[in-house]
Amino acid sequence: MKTAIQITAFLMLILISSCNKDFLNEPPKNLYASSIVWSDPALAQTTINQMYKDLGLPHSAISISQFCDEAWQCWNWGTGDFLKSNITSDNIPAWDAVHDGALQWNRLYKAIRGSNVFLENVDQIKFSDNALHDGKTMKQRMKGEVFFLRAQFYHYLVSEYGSVPIITKSLTTTDSLHFARNTYEECINFIIQDLDSAADNLPNVQFQSGENYGRVTKGAALTSKSRVLLYAASDLHNPDLNASLTSGYSNPEYLGYVRNDAKVRWQKAYEAAKAVMDLGIYSLKSGSAPYDQLYTSLFLAPNTSSEDIWIKLDIAKDNAGWVHDHYYITAAPNGYNGWGGPQPTSEMADSYEMTDGSKPNWNNPSFVAAPFTNRDPRFYSTFFYEGSSWRQRPDATKVADPFNKIQIGYVGYLEGGVFTPLVPGVDTRQGPSSSWNGTFTGYNLKKYLDPAYTVDNYDAKQPNYFRWMRYSEVLLNRAEAAIELGLLGDASKFTEAQSLINQVRKRIGMPPVVETGFALRDRYRNERKVELAFEEHRFWDIRRWMIAEQVVGTSSKELKLRYIVNKTDDIKLNGVPSYRKADGTTWTTPTYLLEESGTVIRSWDKKAYFLPIMRDEVNKNVGKLIQNPGY
Amino acid sequence: MKKYFKDSDVLSWNLLRKLFLIMKLVLLILTTTTLSLFAISTYSQSARVTVELKNVSVKEVLKAIESSSEFFFIYNNELIDVDRKVNINAKDQKISEILNTLFKADEVAVSVIDRKIVLSPAYMSSQQQKTSGTITDSTNGEAIIGANVVIEGTSIGVVTDVNGKFSLDISKPDAILVITFLGYIPSHVTVGTQSVLNVKLVPDIKKLDEIVVIGYGTQKKATLTGSVSTVKGNDIASIPVANVTNMLAGHVPGLIAYSNSSEPGNDKASLLIRGQNTLGDNSPLIVVDGIANREFEHIDPNDIESMSVLKDASAAIYGAQAANGVILITTKRGKLGKPMISLTLNQGFNTPTRLPKLADAYNYASMVNEIYPDTYSPDAIQKFQDGTDPLHYPNTNWYKATIKTWSVQKNANFTVNGGSENLKYLISFGAKYNDGVYKSSASDYTQYNFRSNIDGKINKFINIAFDVAGRQENTNTPNSDIYTVFRSIVRGRPTMIATWPNGEPGPATEGGAQSVIITTDQPGYSHRINYILESNLKLNIAIPGVKGLSLTTNASFDKNFSNQKNWSVPYNLYNWDGTTLDPNNQPILTPAQYGSPLPSLGQSVSDGKNITLNALLNYNVRIANKHDIKIMAGSERHTYDNFWLSANRGNFLSPALSQMFAGAKDLLMTNDGSEESNARLNYFGRVNYNFSEKYLVEFVWRYDGSYKFPTNSQFGFFPGISLGYRISEENFFKNNISFINNLKFRGSWGQTGNDRIKDYQFLSTYAFNDYSAVFGSTPAAYKALYENVIPNRNITWELADQRNIGLEGAVFNNKLSFEVDYFNNKRNQILIQKNASIPGMAGLTLPPENYGKVSNIGFDGSITYQDHIGDFRYLFSFNLTHNKNKIVFWDETPGVDPWQQTTGHPIGGDLYYQADGIFHTQAEADEFNAKYKGKGVIPNDGVVPGDIRFLDVNNDDIIDGKDRMRDFKSQIPTLTGGLNINFGYKNFDLGILLQGASGAVAYVDNFEAGLMGNYLQEYADNRWTTANLNSDYPRTWDRTNMYWTQNRNTFWLKSTDYVRLKSVELGYSTGEKTNKALGINGLRIYVNGFNLLTADKLGIYDPEGAAANGQFYIYPMNKTINAGIKLTF
Repeated sequence: MKTAIQITAFLMLILISSCNKDFLNEPPKNLYASSIVWSDPALAQTTINQMYKDLGLPHSAISISQFCDEAWQCWNWGTGDFLKSNITSDNIPAWDAVHDGALQWNRLYKAIRGSNVFLENVDQIKFSDNALHDGKTMKQRMKGEVFFLRAQFYHYLVSEYGSVPIITKSLTTTDSLHFARNTYEECINFIIQDLDSAADNLPNVQFQSGENYGRVTKGAALTSKSRVLLYAASDLHNPDLNASLTSGYSNPEYLGYVRNDAKVRWQKAYEAAKAVMDLGIYSLKSGSAPYDQLYTSLFLAPNTSSEDIWIKLDIAKDNAGWVHDHYYITAAPNGYNGWGGPQPTSEMADSYEMTDGSKPNWNNPSFVAAPFTNRDPRFYSTFFYEGSSWRQRPDATKVADPFNKIQIGYVGYLEGGVFTPLVPGVDTRQGPSSSWNGTFTGYNLKKYLDPAYTVDNYDAKQPNYFRWMRYSEVLLNRAEAAIELGLLGDASKFTEAQSLINQVRKRIGMPPVVETGFALRDRYRNERKVELAFEEHRFWDIRRWMIAEQVVGTSSKELKLRYIVNKTDDIKLNGVPSYRKADGTTWTTPTYLLEESGTVIRSWDKKAYFLPIMRDEVNKNVGKLIQNPGY
Repeated sequence: MKKYFKDSDVLSWNLLRKLFLIMKLVLLILTTTTLSLFAISTYSQSARVTVELKNVSVKEVLKAIESSSEFFFIYNNELIDVDRKVNINAKDQKISEILNTLFKADEVAVSVIDRKIVLSPAYMSSQQQKTSGTITDSTNGEAIIGANVVIEGTSIGVVTDVNGKFSLDISKPDAILVITFLGYIPSHVTVGTQSVLNVKLVPDIKKLDEIVVIGYGTQKKATLTGSVSTVKGNDIASIPVANVTNMLAGHVPGLIAYSNSSEPGNDKASLLIRGQNTLGDNSPLIVVDGIANREFEHIDPNDIESMSVLKDASAAIYGAQAANGVILITTKRGKLGKPMISLTLNQGFNTPTRLPKLADAYNYASMVNEIYPDTYSPDAIQKFQDGTDPLHYPNTNWYKATIKTWSVQKNANFTVNGGSENLKYLISFGAKYNDGVYKSSASDYTQYNFRSNIDGKINKFINIAFDVAGRQENTNTPNSDIYTVFRSIVRGRPTMIATWPNGEPGPATEGGAQSVIITTDQPGYSHRINYILESNLKLNIAIPGVKGLSLTTNASFDKNFSNQKNWSVPYNLYNWDGTTLDPNNQPILTPAQYGSPLPSLGQSVSDGKNITLNALLNYNVRIANKHDIKIMAGSERHTYDNFWLSANRGNFLSPALSQMFAGAKDLLMTNDGSEESNARLNYFGRVNYNFSEKYLVEFVWRYDGSYKFPTNSQFGFFPGISLGYRISEENFFKNNISFINNLKFRGSWGQTGNDRIKDYQFLSTYAFNDYSAVFGSTPAAYKALYENVIPNRNITWELADQRNIGLEGAVFNNKLSFEVDYFNNKRNQILIQKNASIPGMAGLTLPPENYGKVSNIGFDGSITYQDHIGDFRYLFSFNLTHNKNKIVFWDETPGVDPWQQTTGHPIGGDLYYQADGIFHTQAEADEFNAKYKGKGVIPNDGVVPGDIRFLDVNNDDIIDGKDRMRDFKSQIPTLTGGLNINFGYKNFDLGILLQGASGAVAYVDNFEAGLMGNYLQEYADNRWTTANLNSDYPRTWDRTNMYWTQNRNTFWLKSTDYVRLKSVELGYSTGEKTNKALGINGLRIYVNGFNLLTADKLGIYDPEGAAANGQFYIYPMNKTINAGIKLTF
């Protein structure tokens, strides 16, 4: 009895004593309350890191080069539909994979919100370190980065969609959330304003430079300004030239300028590039032959040079997912156990001139006799082509190729006009490795792959850098503005343009261009295509130049190679039919067939110059948000 | 040699050996304890007790004797008057002497057997001319002690003795004996000329005095007013599957159970009570032995006494976690009596119910040539077809190459159960083993579990119960996940060799994912061990001085430890150059290394604890013998905490030691960890009132507090009320409609809550991105912090409004019983993010807001008929559940076309282009191209014959997103049911469960087929080709390169309706003679099966498993054949 009461009392006591008021106020253990974040400079800095992440990752199994005429995506994860302009406001094929999805409308606006929140809260943070580093305080530097990044997010939006609503504050659910698009001109002005703020706040170099390398600097802000103004001045946004797009469209001010003052805009772009040059801290990396090695080294980790303005440092360390961390595997030819994801088109490869500056010509017998000799040195560092040397083959294919030379052709015989392959090259779609990863164009992409990196299994995380901005672009941006000013009447600018282009050509040993007028513009455009290949320029360039119809509006050709032997020939090596002879040479000289590709089929609809705003987003804005033409 | 070929026989012996060891140990302990406990039972009638009581009923005297001795009484209170008041003053008297003073010798006969004292009317014992026999339980052959055997129409009868025997003088040859015993269906037997009459009584499974477990208490089934379905542990324990959740399908009206995978250790079925009620988390609350949020899927089914499913307002006592219904699991407890030992052994064999049939090499190669001409030469295609050169031109069935026909499962349980009035115990040990389906499988599940449920009586007022249960769950898998394994099977092209003649694995598919090898432990393994320890100390204190008032307290402490170890090592796959042969004409192979280049190890541990403390005050009173009032009030607090740590190292020099220290201290050496905790505090209560068990009222409430909500709104109030009317208890009913034994109307209304949302949605918080940002001239990863969510400071519970009307009854001597419920649930304040209406450009990461409304209406019910014809016993029980939910209101994007809207329609529908067959001819294609070519999703180069025709739903001459229509079927069935059939004849019994589900769909995704992966045979066989113009199947495709493989359309949407033989069991129980001869209490031998037959329209893979969205890349469902033995002694 006594015990009963004692035990009861004891248990009730436990229960009741624990039921204090704070019992349920369990603070989170795996999250930071925002009040903590906005009182600590270190955490605030970490939110900027997120904004860098919000740019997404350029190198992956899918890249923006596969959405234009640079490359074909091996497995056609929707890129083929994009290239057929099968784009609707319900589905932009594969676009959600570009930059890991970062270039989508919603994602970019989410990133913009992050920068707005930062800019609203940064002034309440007490910085203990108010010293100047390279002329700027810690707070200035952080603000400068965020201004830059916000401008970059808007730059992507404007480049994809034309004008968009400009949102500069962090919204809450109680705000009015429906917005109309600003004009294109307002958007560009806003971006330039942010970039000016960024340039004012950012140091020339990042202090404690070791640790902060890869963060943006004043040079990056000025380069971005140069790019934004160049794009804005281009044909696509020029009311004199884009009528085919804007006619019949209710809001041409969303797609470009409405004032006919192209010359003023080219002048601004011309000066913006100069501002970067005037910093005096960047120069092209120079060297001597072999120039292909010089060019290759520009892109491989851990190299950096005076040419680099802003680098996305080692993508393999981002932990952003397998296809991002393992670029090497996704890009290497299938005979190297790779996926051969980006497959440069034959048209891309044919843009690379001969060392004498002439154009490759498949109708010219002497060219066909040796198409891969005496090419622009950049050709050799950009492409895997038949017979190009690479590092040792992995276990699975070293039997088939002891010579470590890319095999994109077939050894076989002709009978009654029908070619029967006896030995398919290891890198073809009938190779012994993962054949669905074989090339459809005759080429694989070599740029960014490091021959010194020898891990070839699925754990291979080759250090992988990407140049967001490098000095070649600045020179070419200025050259382009000069040419356009030249075409608008100031012929003296052609000479300056030639000299800028020739700076870029000279350092890899290519002869100078001497043309003027439209011929110069053609040479320039080809130079930009080649120098900045696979660096995320071409996609935007073919749009703003409005040449997409010509370059992706047609089907593509596949380069096929055959080594034709007699049916009875002994083509064995160590008792095994072999692709090459014991001395490494081929059984016969190759027969090249440049044929219409059955796979790389593309077509162009002018609506695709701009992406559609998603139907849901238009609907959500109840009539305020006007769709782009054609959707 | 690395161990990767697992010898299941060795393992099974180990398991058995271990089990016998445990048994030996237990027997030893038991012998010692029983010796001391039950030595008492030998002292027979010489036992002396002291009983001093005034003006009490005979019944109470008997009870007093029971409580102060080891004896207990068996009598029928309709034949023995035990309500008579007596005075007794016995000091240290023999029991027999006390009984002599209580009863007159010529009225009551006393017989003592062991510790049972049987009281029977003296006239019944006055045996004359003999018709004798035995009354036994039809299910287990056990003797029924104390059954009444009465000659119909007379008061002449006897009570069976301890051996179930009776002996009776029968004067008339046409006499009918009526044999009754509580809990059994009465039996009428014509005596005829028989002098020996053995009768088996069939247990009445729907007995009215059944006690049903409800929230924080129990209640008589007869007076229950809520909608509660129950299932007995014994009814499901016979289903030969490892996971309890898989035993439930088809058993419980209102409970929808569907399974997605039979992977050992990861085979949990999804459970839904009355379907989906919310747009958020629909999972029910699980309560095991009164403690909420315990896990029950791995409880040893032999330990389960019963399961109750609270489907309506009766769940309101669980307040904020009850809106999706509550499943209460109660484990077995000790029973009064000598120790009863039972041993159950099962040996089963599993095989996949169905594996997708894929194209053979000939068909595959021909199809590839249709998309990429000349990929395979005519010669190669010929060789694939005739199979004359299997080394160069193999024809591999990757399922067959990877999966074995039969895999083993086994389980064993050993239970001891018994007790005295002061101490009752149930001790149970179990072990089970479940092998994976792979050849040389690295996948299996082993479990060891124990339970000790002890009830003690400390004194007159205090009862104590201490329960402790533990489990060790070992789940082994290969280090490739299920998705990778089954993807590599479906992607395995039939033209590749799987295994070379010398047994070495064939060449790699992409990345070395070769299914034959990655299902073994050669590339490494992933081992998970969970340790679960659950304990509860319960005190029940009868408050002295106030009759009917008691306090119950529970203190439960549960621990959960988990260890995970992932080990990766390189492995070899083998290539052949196609030419080189050894002297025996066998190919000379070249190894190629795959997998982790150097061994690497990841380990993680987690440590969780749940503490639940509660106190319940109960007051029961009966006024004027008519008004029964039960009041309960309680309080409960719950805290949970879990932390985890993980570590990784790579670049091990040697694969010999898989220990962390042996790895390299380099960049691959990483670690991680975190912690989470939560807290709840509740007050709750229940009032029951009934008038003569005729008019029934129940009110329950809960005032529930949760850490998930902001400080000023952490608490919510959830009431529930239910009413019942047992019309069959009315005299007018009893007198006039006597064939209806029971008829009850009941109805309920209640409000319950659902707080299953992410934590801390009311706080503005930031979280670290899993990604890093990389900076520095020596690049290093830096953390990135992102806005987790913008806060919703008004966040509160989802509120369920639950209405239920039910009718239950029994007719024809309880032979036919039925129960049917209609429900109308409305869920309000459903927490959803307003992503559909808030523009993306706002950039907000939205918190859930209390916004949505869903209604869910349906019925569930069951009907059971049981009887016997002589020795033939039978039972049919059919149950059905149907529900239809509808989104009443939620966030819908403005301006969405009517045919795409979700509001007003069921949850879970998706948008599909409308497929309308294929283009058979060029003319059909041309006509279509003229209108639609290059518009919307139709390619610029137009359609060709063999493509699937999409309908222009809105007739706007373009086929785009607006032409998608919403299909309102989801992966969750809307109609489910089960038919239980039980037959028994003499010692044999047969149980059959047919189960079915309807209303669900699956999207058959074969879209990695093409150059990279294989086609389903069905599509290969029926594909459109120029030679097969009339086919209704599309032409060969390559992955998602076709508009009709890339855009979801109805062509690939298939119904998964099915009916299946879910389980079947045939058993034989030894009769009493045999038992006696063997000195045992019972022996049962049985064979049973699971998922043996399936009828469905889907055909491709298991329709039940199709409920998962993983499509092909899931572990198959198993069918099982099992044999078992249960020995009781």
